[in-house]
Amino acid sequence: MAKQDIIAMILAGGQGSRLGVLTELVAKPAVPFGSRYRIIDFPLSNCTNSGIEAVGVLTQYQPLELNSYIGNGHSWDLDRNNGGTYILPPYLSQVGNDWYKGTANAIYQNIPFIDSYDPKYVLILSGDHIYKMDYLKMVESHINNEAEATIAVIEVPWEEASRFGIMNTDETGRVVEFEEKPAEPKNNLASMGIYCFSWKVLRESLILDEANPDSRNDFGANVIPGMIEAGYDVFTYAFDGYWKDVGTISSLWESNMEILNDPTLINLRDISWTIYSKNPQRPSHYFGHDSKVDNTAITDGSEIFGECHSTIVSYNVVVEKGAVVTDSILMPGSYIESGAVLTRCIVGMDTRIEGNVRATPDEEDGLDMFVNEKLCKDGITVFAPNLIIKEGTKIVGNSMIGAEHARDYPQYIEEVPHYSRMEVSL
Amino acid sequence: MITDAMGLILADNRRIQLGVLTEPRAIAAIPFAGRFRIIDFTLSNMVNSGIKRVGVVALTKYKSLMDHMGTGAPWDLDRMRQGLYMIPPYINPITREPDRTDAQGVIDYVKTGDQRYVVISGSAFVTNTSYKPVINAHIESNADLTVLYHKDGQFDGPLAMAIELDDDGYVRDLMVDYPRSTSQKYVVGLIVISRNLLLQLLTEMMARGIADFSILGILENYKRFRVQAVELEEPLLRIHSVASYFDASMQVLDTKIRHKLFSIDRPIYTKAKNRAPCIVAPGSGVVKNVLASDGCAIMGHVENSILFRGCVIGRGARVTNSVLFQDVQISEGVVLDHVIIDKNSVVKMDGRLLGQPGFPIVIEKNAIV
Repeated sequence: MAKQDIIAMILAGGQGSRLGVLTELVAKPAVPFGSRYRIIDFPLSNCTNSGIEAVGVLTQYQPLELNSYIGNGHSWDLDRNNGGTYILPPYLSQVGNDWYKGTANAIYQNIPFIDSYDPKYVLILSGDHIYKMDYLKMVESHINNEAEATIAVIEVPWEEASRFGIMNTDETGRVVEFEEKPAEPKNNLASMGIYCFSWKVLRESLILDEANPDSRNDFGANVIPGMIEAGYDVFTYAFDGYWKDVGTISSLWESNMEILNDPTLINLRDISWTIYSKNPQRPSHYFGHDSKVDNTAITDGSEIFGECHSTIVSYNVVVEKGAVVTDSILMPGSYIESGAVLTRCIVGMDTRIEGNVRATPDEEDGLDMFVNEKLCKDGITVFAPNLIIKEGTKIVGNSMIGAEHARDYPQYIEEVPHYSRMEVSL
Repeated sequence: MITDAMGLILADNRRIQLGVLTEPRAIAAIPFAGRFRIIDFTLSNMVNSGIKRVGVVALTKYKSLMDHMGTGAPWDLDRMRQGLYMIPPYINPITREPDRTDAQGVIDYVKTGDQRYVVISGSAFVTNTSYKPVINAHIESNADLTVLYHKDGQFDGPLAMAIELDDDGYVRDLMVDYPRSTSQKYVVGLIVISRNLLLQLLTEMMARGIADFSILGILENYKRFRVQAVELEEPLLRIHSVASYFDASMQVLDTKIRHKLFSIDRPIYTKAKNRAPCIVAPGSGVVKNVLASDGCAIMGHVENSILFRGCVIGRGARVTNSVLFQDVQISEGVVLDHVIIDKNSVVKMDGRLLGQPGFPIVIEKNAIV
């Protein structure tokens, strides 16, 4: 293959277990975000906008939806003769077969892919962050520092610093120490999980790491600390834009709400840094004669006949007349029937909420057997994709309703195996 | 089954003009229904009917059409075999004018295909239907030509072609712009013809120096040939004047018609623009009976209107019964009623534009009001 100076590897194999039922059947990077997008649109669009033309997407957990979403990369202008997107799942070989054991092992297993481009620099990106970043600036800083590894860092509030991997640097910005979740952080520069490596150095480090039976084969836990210890030139690159790890229900909900309440943070309307997404090929969205809509984002094919307040509406969503949706996220294909009242809800793809269903944080007489406070906080209720929540069901906040509940409580919940769009009853 | 037909779209028609809307573009390239152009409908119908080779015949103003079509990728027509063929006019080297009598581009396109039939579509209508039944009806009959008609009683536009049929469903009379037709059967601009017969007609046309290659030009031969007529039962929106464009746009607001026009089984494809989702701002006015698109920001009051991608409606503005093309900006306090505003235009603070039902005000592209 023709040479590419920089190639990007997006780690998209994680389960995202803290998103519960939302990632039961899809990998976290394929989770819908911000009305029009999937989470992976952000790193993919960042690559396109940074001029990076060869992108490997490492998949492992539930890859079908992600694979079909990315396709040949056309939606991101990444369908190219030289380079483009490559979906890289784990594979069998004569010397054994392994799932990706860790982030570093995933890259290790794809050394031949990276070698085929003979790159100078390799970017390791995470497929589950919401941010806009010019990776070229990071590579430039890597080159100017004559670094062998560069780690993107972001300033976090001091009181939260102990939740992150903290980089301690000397006065030149060179990393002297990496502390994973330190009890008493020495500074507040947290690793974003975005790395730039000189390929020669990374290649050697990956081979060393693979040979170490005690290693978890993880970049943050093993490879980077190992490189610092071995005296490699590891530098930080400070990023000061919007960045959000949407790994939990609360952070996913918050990040979506920020699009409405503080649109300048991620600024999706900035045409100099467009976030691309796959086009659902549907008509414009429609607001009916009796619709009441405010502080709402909405996209193709959706039809609002009822009320939406402070809500993210994805494509192909229907909100019937008499339904009231507030502070919620309606994922693609969800359908809210008349009389339903949803507050602080995340409704999964193609799920139908039947008439007079109520799901609000303090719902009186609401069913509480779906409450899952381990994953759901702040009164947010999550409905898995492909469910029918039956007429009149009342649910209290912090609930997480999945396919397994359809088996236990068929009087309230039904699972629909295949997506079939239902007609709008007018 | 494999569809043994190629498509040929006549993207423009000298006799159908929509004022400033067709000044910069062919009829087929007129924006429609928020995020589409008229050509998207017949093109998607062709693709959804299994047609894999489509030629688009342009006259003079083909820049916006070419921009829109690109490689044909949105319609899956970017293919190594077959695919999309743009057929712009040949320029006469002496007069530097498009050569009106030169159908050579069309002849070359038709000749090089290996399909037995050609589906020819005009661009003055919008519908969502499969062309397969018409193609099959043509193949199964002894007809030389098969034409689609609709019983919409449409006769007010230019080139309204009323047909009378004999007992076998063949055309025995064709009348243009004749409002007193009792049959109420009006031609939709869609014909199925065998490739060989089309080549013969095109060659005759060139030999006689006939200027316009049009649906009417072909149908005028109805006495020489057996012309079969097949009814289109899906909703049909005709676009042949500013008033009919406005009326057709308003019909898309009707949810029943819109669901027919954008059926899930037969998607209408168009070029993607990757705009941000539409935002209805906190404390905006009433937004009702509105078709809006990505990239819009609605802060004012909008009713019975269509907003194309990227429109901005300022706080306190009042937009009713209007169609605003891509990236139109309506400033604070503006009042619009019965207005069509073309791309990138701006209506400045407190402007008032009030058209009348049946006579919308039309503002040109890139205007500042």
